[in-house]
Amino acid sequence: MRKILQLALLVLGWLVILGGFLWAPLGKGFLGHSSRILFFHVPMAWASFIAFIAAGVWSVRYLIGRDEEHDRSAAVAVELGLLFGVLATVTGAMWARTMWGAFWNWDPRQVSIAFALLFYAAYLALRSSIPDEEARRRLTASYAVLGLAIAPFLFFIAPRMVPTSLHPEPVINAQGKPAMESRMLMVLIGGFVWATALFFWLHDLGRRCARVVARREAPPLPVE
Amino acid sequence: MSPASSNWLAEVGAVFAKEWRAELRTRYALNTFALFGLTTLFTASASLGTLSIPLAERAAVLPVILWLILLFALTAGLPRTFVHEEETHTATALRLAASPVALFVGKQAYNLVLTLALEALVAPLFLVLFDLEVQNVGVFLATLVAGAFGLATGSTLVAAMIAAAQGKSTLFAVLALPVLLPLLLFTVQLSRSALTGEAPGQALPALLLYDASVAVAALLLFPVVWNP
Repeated sequence: MRKILQLALLVLGWLVILGGFLWAPLGKGFLGHSSRILFFHVPMAWASFIAFIAAGVWSVRYLIGRDEEHDRSAAVAVELGLLFGVLATVTGAMWARTMWGAFWNWDPRQVSIAFALLFYAAYLALRSSIPDEEARRRLTASYAVLGLAIAPFLFFIAPRMVPTSLHPEPVINAQGKPAMESRMLMVLIGGFVWATALFFWLHDLGRRCARVVARREAPPLPVE
Repeated sequence: MSPASSNWLAEVGAVFAKEWRAELRTRYALNTFALFGLTTLFTASASLGTLSIPLAERAAVLPVILWLILLFALTAGLPRTFVHEEETHTATALRLAASPVALFVGKQAYNLVLTLALEALVAPLFLVLFDLEVQNVGVFLATLVAGAFGLATGSTLVAAMIAAAQGKSTLFAVLALPVLLPLLLFTVQLSRSALTGEAPGQALPALLLYDASVAVAALLLFPVVWNP
């Protein structure tokens, strides 16, 4: 079963890449082929968003139930969220260079993601500097929950303080209808499914690795 | 007033008084704040003041310097809030003597007074050295007070988190900056509108909302952070 799912993930990834470059039409009002980055940039940003939300949820569950597995899940989710977040930022910056003339414009969305990346990098810094294991789990989980409290300010309130954003409209507009050509939309939805599945697959791998490492580093059982 | 709530207030007051007594013995935080604030302010003023930038541009650009000075002075002075309890082995006694929420409120109130003292020193000097005039005094004072509240609350919680970690003071800056960055965006924008006389817009409600949500998160999280 696992093998079939992995194969499906691989095939879907190739379909998104081929569909994005060969099948989907170009977006209107975009320079050259620059609109094709949409199929990779938006799913990566989505995956990092899912990862950070998941890290918050697993941290809350750790603080409630004190299950080590939830703590490992949260940490792996943060690492993957940073990976996807950096990919989204880099693809976005490449696109911004083409369309807006500079890699970095302090567009509200660039501000939000830069702060989010700083926050979760600090999470990992905290994690690596507490020697006591129980304190490490408890304190990093608290820090992640504090992140949930300030996230609305980063993602919704601070961007609105800047009067104008050049960032293209999100896919789903205010009318609740996707205003996009149907082939582009299909590839984009494929990209969302692919990025989400990729996150959960990598997360499963990372969590199992962390479990093995934790078992190896645990003190040996006393010999009777 | 019920006996329970008066007990709670007494605990808060006792923690607050203890902090001041300990601070006045060494004057560690006050001296750090004064020296750090004055040094950075004079450095910035000496290098920027000679450029003869027009007043309108000064008012738009310089508020970020004021808030960066305040932020980094805090990261120099506040990490010790809980670290010294671990170093002097008084943390356990404190866990027994006060409820976590009372302890947090007492420490936060102490840090708030320290932050307001730092602002009372730095903000007037900032206005004098850069030759700025506050157009909207109410907004400026509200920004300083609400900003101090958010800075003190976030810093107190992060200070409690790093007490168990290694490399405490550098880690404090690393952890506190992402948490306090939204606050800094709001306070810089508010100070700018206070100096230029523009309408502050949505920044003041946003700042108050930030203060409230950080305070609620801190009160919920501090018992978890403090008690093993």
